[in-house]
Amino acid sequence: MKTRRKYSQYMPGLAKVCLLLICCFALNGVMAQDSTQTPMVKKKSYVKNTFDGNYIIDNQTVMVPIKGTFEFDIQHRFGTVNNGFSDLFGIFAGANMKLGFSYTPITNLQLGFDATNENMQVDWNLKYALLKQTKSNSMPVSVTFFGNAVMDTRKKDATTVFVTTADRFSYFYQIIIARKFSDKVSLQVSPSVSHFNDLLGYLDADGNPKPILKNDNFSISASGKFQVSDGFSVIANYDQPLTQNPANNPHPNLSLGIEMRTSGHDFEVFFGNYSSLMPQINNVFNQNDYKKREFLVGFNISRLWNF
Amino acid sequence: MKRKLTLFGAVLALSIMSFAFTSIQQPKPWPVPEKNAKMANPVKSNGESIAAGKALWNLHCASCHGKKGLGDGSKAAQLKTTPQDMSKADLQSQSDGSIYYKIAEGRDDMPSFKKKIPESEDIWNLVVFIRTLKK
Repeated sequence: MKTRRKYSQYMPGLAKVCLLLICCFALNGVMAQDSTQTPMVKKKSYVKNTFDGNYIIDNQTVMVPIKGTFEFDIQHRFGTVNNGFSDLFGIFAGANMKLGFSYTPITNLQLGFDATNENMQVDWNLKYALLKQTKSNSMPVSVTFFGNAVMDTRKKDATTVFVTTADRFSYFYQIIIARKFSDKVSLQVSPSVSHFNDLLGYLDADGNPKPILKNDNFSISASGKFQVSDGFSVIANYDQPLTQNPANNPHPNLSLGIEMRTSGHDFEVFFGNYSSLMPQINNVFNQNDYKKREFLVGFNISRLWNF
Repeated sequence: MKRKLTLFGAVLALSIMSFAFTSIQQPKPWPVPEKNAKMANPVKSNGESIAAGKALWNLHCASCHGKKGLGDGSKAAQLKTTPQDMSKADLQSQSDGSIYYKIAEGRDDMPSFKKKIPESEDIWNLVVFIRTLKK
């Protein structure tokens, strides 16, 4: 029998989001004050196109689009390739899909909404550029915060664990630190934490509820781009879960792909281990193991409009 | 023999009619405000500005205007207007300010790039690169 165990009292998710956002804006405020105190300093020139789009395979990039950009994303993750021709290496095995919409209303801030068929989840997300790498190297890296709140919108039934609406929510917070080393090479490192308000547990021999997974899971990812030519890059990504759980520890993700970019589109196709389209689901629940060659094909398509 | 002559006559007549109804598409005049046309390019032509302009060209312009600016990009055939050959004097004789204005404002099939390329320095870099397309 499955038993529910709540840890929400240890980490009120919304409160944490608010605290992080306040920190982000406060830091930016301090920077803004500094710039106004030194009006004679020449206007900073920022490094451009550290990455080509908002996504690098399963991760967000450090990039925040230009103010007024509306982006529509279509993402697919197919089945694992292990079944060979019987399901055409996972392509006909069924896919997780996500539709995403985002808008950049003010400089450095993007707001988004996504919906995926996996557990009928929707999310609201926010991305804010805290620091930007400068051409003069006075700021050697770009730093961006990304956070989301995901809601599982499935109807209650025997397979779901929801009692209250809060049980449906999970959160993901990430700091993305990136550097464009040259016109060809960009790298980023992104520590993150995923929080689930409610997770399945089990009853021990004495009938006490025990957790399988911890409610807070830390991860770190490293991503890179090698630009082969204008508009064409090779991209790679590695995600390493850090938290040790009582059972079902998630497996890391190793992925490699190509990216093609035009004026209004960004297209990525790749192999990897992560099958979900919400970052916290991947970082906490991934059981595809690259050592067992449990890879799958995926793609991300982005269409951009400027208003 | 008579049938062949009739067929030849019909093909000839159709060919003449098709030429008769064909008009050579002349580019519409694109007036540029004097103030804009007289703007000088603040960006100097050097390796850095040409490389920056080329990257923007390949991303935003090459699909219609072609990699070398000959008007032969992969999307050119789908447009209502023929993209201008940037290597010719018609374009190269225009002032930097005029080219900047046309990139920024756009017209008909040519989109406005002032929102997609929000920093004026980048559009000037593009103008610098366009100058290298001259033959």
